[in-house]
This record gives sequence, C-alpha cells and structure tokens, in this order.
Amino acid sequence: MPKVKIPRKSTAIDMTAMCDVAFLLLTFFILTTKFRDQEVVQIDIPASTAQIPIPDKDIMMFNISPDGRIFFGLDDQNTRLRLLDTLANRYQFQITAEQQAAFKTLELWGMDIKALPEFLAKDPTERANILQPGLKIDTTGGETQVEDLILFSRKINNNLRIAIKADKTTEYKSFAALIEALQNRKVNRFNIVTSAKTARE
Amino acid sequence: MAEMNVPESGAKKGKKKSRSKKMSTRVDLTAMVDLGFLLITFFMLATTFNKPKTMEVIKPAKDDNEDKKDQPAIKMSKTFTLLLGDNNKVYAYTSPDEVDATTTLSVDSVDYSSKGLRRVIQERQKEVARDWGHQDTIFIMIKPLPKSKVKNTVDVLDEMSINGVKRYAILAADDPIDSLICLTIRQSRK
Repeated sequence: MPKVKIPRKSTAIDMTAMCDVAFLLLTFFILTTKFRDQEVVQIDIPASTAQIPIPDKDIMMFNISPDGRIFFGLDDQNTRLRLLDTLANRYQFQITAEQQAAFKTLELWGMDIKALPEFLAKDPTERANILQPGLKIDTTGGETQVEDLILFSRKINNNLRIAIKADKTTEYKSFAALIEALQNRKVNRFNIVTSAKTARE
Repeated sequence: MAEMNVPESGAKKGKKKSRSKKMSTRVDLTAMVDLGFLLITFFMLATTFNKPKTMEVIKPAKDDNEDKKDQPAIKMSKTFTLLLGDNNKVYAYTSPDEVDATTTLSVDSVDYSSKGLRRVIQERQKEVARDWGHQDTIFIMIKPLPKSKVKNTVDVLDEMSINGVKRYAILAADDPIDSLICLTIRQSRK
C-alpha cells in the first residue's frame, strides 16, 4: 500500500479580510460615539434603578450645580440660533454674527440673559474661565427669565423634552425653584438624569 | 501564525544566489488587526457606559381655578407622608383622619437604606392592605424640605418603583402637621 503523503499546510492565515472587518467596525463606533460635552460645572449625578435611556435629540437640558446655580442648554444648534433671535427681540439687544456663532457652539450657559451679549463677545478661552453665576430665577413674579427660556424654546421646537441634571448634593430648594418655573409654564412632566444602579444595595 | 518574510533557507542551500530574490508583497496584518480590535473595544465600552438613564417625574398640575375644592379629599388613613430632611433623614408618619386635642402622632426617623426607608414603606403597605383590602390603595406624599438633597428625592422616587407604589406625589410641606414636625426637628420649611 502506498503511503499517502499529507502535504503540510502553511499555518499562515490571510488577515486582510479580518483587518477590513475590524476597521469597518472601528469606523462605525468612532462615528456613533458621542463624546461628553465640555462641562461648565462638575456634576455628580445621583443613581437610580430607572431604566429609561436619555433621548438622543430634542432635549432641553437644565443643570444644577452643587451650590444651586442653574444652567441651560439646548442640544440642537439651529434651535439655539432661533432662541437667540427670540431672546434678542424680547430683551432688546443687538447680536453680531460672531456672537451668533459663539452661541451656536455654547452647550450650556447660566447667567442673566441681559449679560449674554457681553459674554458672547469674549474670546473662547476667556469664556471658559469665567465663573458663570447661573440663570436668574425669580418665581415670585417680576422677572420671568427662566420661564421665557422654557416658553421660547418650546415654541421653536414643540417636541422638546426637559431633562434636569442635578448634582447629588444640590439642595432641594434650587431644584424646587426650577420646577416652580417649569410649572409656571405648564410643564408638569420632566426627567431627572440619573446613573444606573441595581435595586439591592 | 505570524508569517515572516524571510527567504526560505535550508532546501535551496546548494544553489547559488545569482540574482536578487523577488520580495513577497504580503504584509503581516496580525498586528494591525490587533490594534483595530483594541480600538473597537475601547469605543464600544466608551459608548455604552456613557449613556445616562433618566427618571420620569410627573408633577400634579397647578390648578388656578377652584374646581379642586369640590374633589373629595383622600382619607388620611390611606396615606403615608415622607418628610425629607437634611443630614439624610426621612421623617415618616401617617396623619390621623381627624385631628383633635387628644391626637398623638408617631414619627419614625429613618435613613435611606433598604433597612430604613424600604422597611417602613413595606410595613405601611401591609397595614394599608390589612385595613383597605389592597396595598395599592396606599398614597404616599413625598415632601422634600428645602435643605434636603436632590439625591434624597431621587432615592425616594426610586423606592416607589422598587416597592411598586402606584400612587405618590411630590408635594410642598404645607400641612399643619408638617410645620409641627419641622419645628420639632428644627428645620425650616422655606
């Protein structure tokens, strides 16, 4: 019987296809990843067992810092621009193209609306270093700046959902003030941003 | 597994090298694939873990008109009030249906752990189930005091979903009993 000779095969595998797949997936993940926005304030959110993920678009975001300052942000840049126009009309200030461009990239801000044009006129590094005083909130009547922001933003985009991101250690007082403002504009439904945890601790 | 582009020696040792060998055009991609998957892993983890969750809160609508006055008040013996104070304390009590001079009230002060708050809620649920037939009849009033932290409110709301409480509301601490308790624990309601 003749000996069957099994040819020795090379152990080398063609990696080209695998490489293609890897980089295709890599591209996908790079494109879909949304990096964390630059934070004006450090906020350590409380944990809860809630499972609803935060929506990707149409968000009106309120941040409350541990010392009770309230910040405001819209996710969509076009909505931001239209809001700035409305605010300029309501509070009677002039807006240059540079200020518009600055506002377009402003993720979060918190100050008296009347101080906004001056803030936008500064250059980006200076803006990042300024300690923002927080939105001017006054729910007893008189000025209605926060109420205006809520109303105008919702007029521009009716699908906006309200998310409140408050630090663990924020006192309920400032949280209550914001909710008061929301309810003054007939918003009774909002979301508190939390991180996930399990029920048994 | 790696393939190396070294000239095969051994078998052709006898032959004389006359001209330069044709180099193979194949490149070893193993390292590149490794790198690719490493980055994929990074981006995958970075994406999924960064997504925060939200907790939906629906506040009772503020009624400016007087319609509310006609609605029957909820029986106090079905309710449970959680007054959130500072220093991570909850003051839990049940208001009596009728208040007169002889009324006494017991207030539990507990913390937010599963042994504290969760236990008193579950005990109260059992009481309501015994008195009213079903534990879902319970109505929990959450009254955060200004000095309490946002984390406290979130924790309490979380306990509502963990214990399956169907009816609850976040309210202002404006009841006469609340002011009495606030006085006792020396906390401001404003």
